[in-house]
Amino acid sequence: MHIRVVFAGRNYDRTQAVPARLELPDEATLEDALEDLQTLLAGKGIELPQSCLVAVSGVHLGTLRAHQAHPLCDGDELLLLAPVAGG
Amino acid sequence: MLLSDLSGDELARYARQIGPGALSAQGQTRLKHAAALVSRAGGMGGPAALALVMAGIGRLVFAHGGNLDSPDLNRQVLGSEEGLGKPRVVCFSETLRAMNRFVEIEAIDHEPDDDEALALARRVQVVLSCAPTFAERLRLNRAAVEAGVPLIDAAQWGMTGTLIVVDPGRTACLQCLYPVVPEFEEMFPVVGAISMAVGSLAALEAIKILAGSGTPNFGRLLLIDGFQGRWSQIELRRDPDCRCCGARKPRQ
Repeated sequence: MHIRVVFAGRNYDRTQAVPARLELPDEATLEDALEDLQTLLAGKGIELPQSCLVAVSGVHLGTLRAHQAHPLCDGDELLLLAPVAGG
Repeated sequence: MLLSDLSGDELARYARQIGPGALSAQGQTRLKHAAALVSRAGGMGGPAALALVMAGIGRLVFAHGGNLDSPDLNRQVLGSEEGLGKPRVVCFSETLRAMNRFVEIEAIDHEPDDDEALALARRVQVVLSCAPTFAERLRLNRAAVEAGVPLIDAAQWGMTGTLIVVDPGRTACLQCLYPVVPEFEEMFPVVGAISMAVGSLAALEAIKILAGSGTPNFGRLLLIDGFQGRWSQIELRRDPDCRCCGARKPRQ
């Protein structure tokens, strides 16, 4: 299956080189996708903050540090949002 | 509460926002009898305060410590060259008073601590969190949840903005999202246009809540990614074990 990947929030500029689509085996889960992504990013010297919010197709599932298990479907959108503050 | 609570001058001032798809006359009257806390007077707090004052909120409590500096002026819609070096919230409050004589402005020249934030939250009907640090945001969140008033959290980075609207005891609070305080970056890049957009949307949510008009965006995170040209919304999950709001019952 293929899912779309969106990075947003703080330091989004550092993740521009990461493919917007991720190919995963059928039956892949959110955990599989996050592992693939973090391995990909580590190869580019990028480590996402553990406080990143994680959502799949508009549904919030927690943070990188702690999130719900979630099966993925072809066409899902995985959003990783590095929290922003700023006054 | 009667329509006659609005004077002829007030009805004339707000004539363009009273009508279908906007506020009812009763809603405008409710807004007149309402108060909001905006903390702080920054890139988002400034336009949020301005929009609330122009819309006719009854009382605005505006909190910020520190002076206006030159790098602030790329995004501080209430600032000016004349205000450089002066206490920010004092200057901005004067501008707000000049914008609308029907609104009471209460300026607080420092960031409230835990006790003061709670006391302030108990004196208003909505809290707008426009603070630079997560520690302050979570403090305002705790105060709003404890006081049982909605919280609107506006945040920004670069060309990105987020908006979260919390109905304590019913929808996810900031602590549900961030059980561990996220990393904080003191000097972050920001384009003033996104500050104004997010601050204005925060005010719109407050106006809807206070006036009883429209549908507040409770329980969702609005993400405006101006850099990548993408707007999206996330349905937020409330943490039933949240140490801030987990035991909180929905407000009446």
